[in-house]
Parts: sequence; C-alpha cells; structure tokens
Amino acid sequence: MNWNAILPEAILAIGILTVFILELFLERKHYKFLSVLAFIFVVLSGYSIFFVNYPAKLFFDGFSVDALNLIGKLFILAVTGFVLLSSYDYFSKKNSQYGELPYLYLIATLGLMVMISSDNLAIIFTGLELASITMYILVGLFRREYLSKEGAFKYLVIGTTGTSMYALGSALVYASSGSMVLSPVKEENTLFALGVILIISALALKVSAVPFHFWTPDAYEGAPTPTTAYLSTVPKIGMYFLFVKLTMYLFSAFPDWKYVVMLLAVLSMFYGNIVAYAQKSVKRLLAYSSIAHAGYFLTALTAVDKHLFSALLFYVFVYALATVGAFTVLAILEKKEGWTHHFLDFKGLKEENPVLASMLALFLFALIGIPPAAVFLGKLGIFFGLVKTDMFALGILFAIASLISAGYYLKVIVYMFLYSGEVRHGQTTVSAGEAFTVLGTAFLVIFFGLFPHVVLDFILRALS
Amino acid sequence: METLLNVAIFLPLVGALLVAVIRNEIFAKVASILIGAVVALISLVLFVNFDFSKKGFQFETYVPWIKTLGIGYHVGVDGMAISLILMTSILFLAAYIWSWKIEDRPSLYFALFLALETACIGVFAALDLFLFYLFWEGMLIPMYFIIGFWGHDRKVYAANKFFLYTFFGSLFLLLGIASILVYGYFETGKISFDYFFHLGLDYPLWLELIAFLLFGIGFAVKIPMWPFHTWLPDAHVEAPTAGSVILAGVLLKMGTYGFVRFSLPFFPEASKYYIPLIFTLSVVAVIYAAMMAIAQTHMKRLIAYSSISHMGLVTLGTFAMNSDALNGAIYLMIAHGLSSAALFLGAGFIYDRIHSYHMDDLGGLARYIPYFTFAFFLAVLAGIAFPGFASFVSEFLILLGIFEKFPVWAFVAGIGMVLGAAYSLYMFRKVMLEEESIPEERVEKWKKLKDLELHHAIPFALIIGMALVMGIYPYPFVKIVEHTSKLVFGG
Repeated sequence: MNWNAILPEAILAIGILTVFILELFLERKHYKFLSVLAFIFVVLSGYSIFFVNYPAKLFFDGFSVDALNLIGKLFILAVTGFVLLSSYDYFSKKNSQYGELPYLYLIATLGLMVMISSDNLAIIFTGLELASITMYILVGLFRREYLSKEGAFKYLVIGTTGTSMYALGSALVYASSGSMVLSPVKEENTLFALGVILIISALALKVSAVPFHFWTPDAYEGAPTPTTAYLSTVPKIGMYFLFVKLTMYLFSAFPDWKYVVMLLAVLSMFYGNIVAYAQKSVKRLLAYSSIAHAGYFLTALTAVDKHLFSALLFYVFVYALATVGAFTVLAILEKKEGWTHHFLDFKGLKEENPVLASMLALFLFALIGIPPAAVFLGKLGIFFGLVKTDMFALGILFAIASLISAGYYLKVIVYMFLYSGEVRHGQTTVSAGEAFTVLGTAFLVIFFGLFPHVVLDFILRALS
Repeated sequence: METLLNVAIFLPLVGALLVAVIRNEIFAKVASILIGAVVALISLVLFVNFDFSKKGFQFETYVPWIKTLGIGYHVGVDGMAISLILMTSILFLAAYIWSWKIEDRPSLYFALFLALETACIGVFAALDLFLFYLFWEGMLIPMYFIIGFWGHDRKVYAANKFFLYTFFGSLFLLLGIASILVYGYFETGKISFDYFFHLGLDYPLWLELIAFLLFGIGFAVKIPMWPFHTWLPDAHVEAPTAGSVILAGVLLKMGTYGFVRFSLPFFPEASKYYIPLIFTLSVVAVIYAAMMAIAQTHMKRLIAYSSISHMGLVTLGTFAMNSDALNGAIYLMIAHGLSSAALFLGAGFIYDRIHSYHMDDLGGLARYIPYFTFAFFLAVLAGIAFPGFASFVSEFLILLGIFEKFPVWAFVAGIGMVLGAAYSLYMFRKVMLEEESIPEERVEKWKKLKDLELHHAIPFALIIGMALVMGIYPYPFVKIVEHTSKLVFGG
C-alpha cells in the first residue's frame, strides 16, 4: 500500500493528537502556544503535499489522490493556517480561551480533506460529517452567550437536515446505479434524478445557497469572529472542490441538473445581495454577502467545462483569502470596549485606526471585484466560461447582481472614510498573528490578481 | 523611446507610493509638481518624435505576463493616444500646480492624484484588453476618494453615484471582453487578450452586434451619453476643482477613446448598423444637455452639462464613418479636454474667493479681478469654438464630415453649438459683467478680492496656451490625429 498518499492527513492527525494531549496538561496561559503549534502542523501538512506521489489510490480505492484534490488540500490548509494565527489573541482578550479551539479547527480541516479526496459517496459522507459536527461545536464555543448558542443550535438542526438529505440522496443513487463509487455514468430514471437533486440540495445547504441559507446569518453572527472567518471560507473551498467532482461524475449524468443549480444560483445572488442592504451589522452583512457569493459560484457549476471550473476554484480561493482578511479586521476591532459591528461603530474609523480601515476597505473593494484584486479575475473567468457554454443570460444576471452588491460594500467604506465618528471606542491592539493574517491575505489577494497563473495553471492542468 | 512611455505610465505611481509613505506636505507638493512636469515633458518628447508618416503603433513594448491566458504587458501609442497622453499629462500638471494651497490631508490628496495619472495614461497606452481594463478600473478608486474626501456638501452621494454608474458600465465592458475572448478561443484555440490578435479576427455579425452593445454600455456611461449621464452633473458639482478638471478633461475622454480604439475597428459592421441609435442618442445629448445648461444657475452644473453636450458631438463625429468627422472627433476630445478644464479652473477660482458657485451670488466681478476675467474669457471662447482655438478646428471638421452624408444631423448638431455659445456667454455675462444687480455690501467685499496668484496663472497659461497653439497652428495635430483615422478606416 502506498502510505505516502495520506501523508498530509497523517501529519494533521498527529498534530490533532499532540495538541489534544498537550491541552490536558498545559495551563491556560500556554494556550497561545497551542495555536502556534497547530499552525506549525498545518504548515508541515501543507509542505508534505509537495512530496505526495499522485495519482494514487488506497484503502480499497476508498481514498484517492490526484492533482486536483491536492490543490484543494493546499488551499484548505493555507486558509486554515491564516485563521489559526488570527484566532488566539481574540479569544484571550475575550477571556474565553478554550484549549479545544486549535484542535477543533484542525479536525474540521481534516474532515474536509478526507471529504475531497474520496470517490466514494459513503466516505465523502464521513468526511463531511466529521467537519460538520466539529463546526457545530465551533459555532457554539461562546457557551455563555445567547447568540452563540442560538447560532449553533440553528446550524446543528439545519446542518443535520442537510447531511441526512445527503445520506438519503446517496442511498437513492446507490439504489438506481448499484454503486457508491463515482464514475462517469449515464442514468436516466426518477430514482437517480431524485438522488441527484437531494445531494445537490444538501451541498447547497452547506454552501448556504438560497433557499437553504437560513442558518447562515445567525451562525455567522453568533460565532466568535475568527470562527466565522473559518466557517465562511474553509468549508466553502472543500465544498466547491467536492461540487466540481460530483458535477463531473454524478450530476451531469442527469441532464436537467443544470436547471436546479441555475435556480439556486440566481435566487442566491439576488436574495443575498438585496437583503444585505437591510443589515445594520457589518458582520451580518458579510454573511449575506457570502450567500450572494454562493450564487456567483454556483453559476459556474451549470456546465461541465474546465475553464468554468478552474475559474470557480480560483475564485473560491481568493474569495476565501479576502473574506478571512475582512473578518480578521472585524475580530481585531471587536477587541475594543463596547464594539458591536453596528454601522454606527464604523463611523469615522479612519480617524482612529487608519491602517485597519484601509485594510478593510481593500478587502471590500476586492470583494466588489475591482482589479487588481484577484476576485476580479474570478469574475472574468466565470464570464468567459458562461459565454463559452452558451449561458450568456446567466452572465448578464451575474453582472447585474454584482453591481447591486457594490452598493452595500461601499456603504461600509463610506461609513469608515467619509463620515466622521461621534463615538470613540479607543485603541485596539493587533497581535502578531493577526497582523500576519491581515497583511498576508492582503498581499496574496493583490499578488494573485497580478500573477494568477501561479495557481490557475495548476488548476487548469489538473482539470484537463 | 519605448522606455520613456513606460516611465510616463509608472513614474506617477511610484511617486504616489513615495508621497503616501513620506507624508510630508511640502514634499508631496513639490514631488507631485516635479513628477507632473517630468511626465508632461516626456509626453512632449514622445509627441515630437512620433512619426505620423509611418503606419501603425509606435513606441511599443511587449512583455509576456500571464501566458496561459494570453495576457501580455503590451503598450504602444498611435496618433490619437499620444495626443491624448500629452493633454492628460498637461492637465495633471495644471491640477498639481493649482492644488498648491490645499490644506486638508495634502499627502493623501496628491498620492491619489498621482495614482490616477498612472491609470489615465495607462488607459490610453494599453494595447492589451486585460491591461486596459486594469487601468480603466484603476481610476475608479482614486477618483471615488477624491470626490468623497475633498468634495462639497453632498460628496458622499455624488461619490457613490459616480462609483456605481461607472462600475455598472465596467461590468458590461467585462462581459463584452469575455464574449470576444470566447470567440477568439473557438476560432483559434487559444485565449488572447491582445489588441492585434482581436483586430485580426473577423467576428460574425451577431457577435459584433452583441459585443458592440456590451462595450458600448461601458463606454457610454463614461462619456457619458444620454441617458447614462445623470452621474456627471452631481460628480462635477461635488468634486474639488482639480478633480473636476481631471474628470471633465481626461476621464470623459476614455469613453470616446474606447469607441475609436475598440468599437470601430473591432466591430465595423455593427458600428454601421447602430449609426441611427448612436446618432439619435448623441443628438439628444447635444440638444438636451445644452437646454439643461441654459436652465442652470450653478456654474459647475452648467459646465458639466456643456460637457455632455460636447461629448455628444464627439460621438456624432466618431460614428459618421468619415475620416474628416473622425479627425474632428478626436481633435475635439483634446480640445474639449482643454477648454472644459479651463472653465472648471475658472469656476474653482471663483469658489475659492467667494465660496459660491451660484450665479445669483455673483456678478460684476470683472472690475475687481481683471486678470482672472481675461483668463476666464479666453476659457469661455475656447469652450464656444471661437476661431483661433482648438475647438473651432475640431467642430468645423466634425460638421464638415457629418454634412457629407447626413446633412440633417449636421444641421441639428449645429444648433447645439449655437446654444453652446448662448449659455457660455450668458454665464460669463452673469458672473463677470452684470453690475446693476449687485447689492452694495457685496461691492465692499469684492473690492478686497485678490486676483490670480501664480499657482492659478500657470495652469491657465498651460491649458489655454495649448488650446491656442492647436487652434492657430493645427497642422501637426491634425496630421497626428489623421494617423488614427487612417488606422481605423484603413486608408
């Protein structure tokens, strides 16, 4: 057996155990060390990806490694690393530093990595559940706060519905095709169609597409901000890698799958963008923006096309970087006394914290899709793919939706820069980890905008 | 020479970073003026060295950048581009000098303007669609903050409106770029953003018709063509003086530049097909905006509407499918850039001194600030296409060209010009002359008014000087502009 293929997962698992055991013995003041240790394991695991021989299959073909899911793992680990570094200071300032935190992040990441590297619907389910259950705990980590509990409960109830839909869907697929393993098949019967629709709905729920989005705003708002950063990015990357794989090998066997995805995409784009205007809290606004982005991403899953998929995966990754950056800025600001993320708190932020305000503005401009930030290239790539696959109308809807979105991102920028503040919240401290995350993501967002081929070429090559 | 063009594009950006980092007021001002002067000098050198007898683009640089997507750093200029770059660099220099006395956050102010200059020159020099779009969007954020930070009362509203309108146009432009890329990909099997690659492709008519509209919306918002024009009066009214100068002088020209550079050569059939549409919109813009201008009492609003009216004339000339008219259109881009900039400088000067743009608050200023009156009068003359100024040559050429095939349209456009003279002179009379209506206490105040200072006089001299040179000795400019129309029409 080729053990080398699970090197990244193995290192991560060792990391989880190490952090877990150390947490039992260490005192509270050393918890920062645990985050850093977890980060080191993430880096090691990411580094080990370069030594994996691919393609490879092991565990009776239950676990497979190819170029595409290695790229996915690298993306997941990179974003996890940023989140880990940004998290420790926030929790210690909030006086709720739990030692579980670092290894919970790692477990969720491990689950996602397993999920994207299997071709077997049952094993995908295992990975999905490992990640989901961990994330319910992560959301509810502020166990003394009502919002956090409410968010976790909603997420648990709705998320479980999602996983059971997935389970039922894969059972139906198994019933009609006789196999749990993904392979290019052509099946046209009602049972199969129902199975596909159920699986699509389950994934749509996990990526918070309308009408399965109800958990998103509450879970995002209730969760501790670094966890929100994690929740809105890392699982999304995993989900879209899975979505791409399933679209290629499963959904496309049911020709009408594209109308289902199209409907989800259009609903999410417009619902997310329009409801975002009604929000008073910037954190909640970003939650709705992620619903809208789910819509943008789903537009790319309406056809099997390597350009669409590569644009999508690139887009998801740079979106994740920009979002982690934005949430980290929010986390830094939240350390101020009495900070609530309400728009009024952001009034005149440039006078108090010019650097933080500019950074947040940079991430927001990036999310609008202004070049040279990389998100713009994702948009261009998806436009290109949509025109190429004769879905021009969807491209126009996409353009209109992203125009609508510009307004609420600008609203935050206007409050920070163009109004002067009345309430003073005083200064806040920026830890080394947070500074690294904010500057690192900002740098990467611009860098990938100017030199996208650094990752785009690999994705394209892996897909073709 | 190739290096000089790249220096002209990126020197302001480097300057912007320096100014933003060093954060010293005097340094910011001196450095900006120096950089502005160097860039203007470089463009002048390029302009003089441009060989208009040679066909094709000159001073080209090509560096492969993103190979899988066929994106390269490709810049170069033809006659239209180099003259627009010359105008741009002179307007920016004028804007830097004009802002000598700015007190509110000077480092940031000059850094944003310098960044804007890179974007503007870049737009005119880019020969790669990706690079073009990068620069095209690159001007959005600096201009947004220039209006938002240093504007007047309703600056937030105006800045947002400006941003959203322009972004709306850009998204359609992006879709247009995507659609021709896909066609190129299906035809040749490779993705390429290069200008010449697409110039060599022959698009089918249906694609031309769609792509022309997508590109056209992007450009029309920027120009702005009626009915996409409503952002412009607001943006102008609220922008600081130098911002208005750049907005009217340079940013509006990007749209018409786009039409000449991309729409005409890429989509020749569609351009013919859409002539009735474009002509109708343009003539509506010419007449409607001129009527709106007559109704204004706010100086900047009046000048803004006059810009819309003149830009309508430019689009008319662009799509008349006639090399005279196209020459005139390109010439008018430059001429109008200069004249509207001078008019905005005038309005800005009056606001600096009297703190009002409203004509009711003004009147009879000529007696107290004679030098300014002289400069402003020249600006007004330049604006109404008085013989001897650049706009005269250009509007004459446009009408001549349109008249050949479309005499009725030419006649209607001519009415617009008459109206233009009417509202401009009306404004001048109301602001500068009319002494009867001003109350006593204002006279007391205005006796103490200070006339032009050096940092006001130099920009006026630069801009009006160039307009005069282009009006009195148009030969090299017309030749250089003809270089482009030959490229477009292949003559």
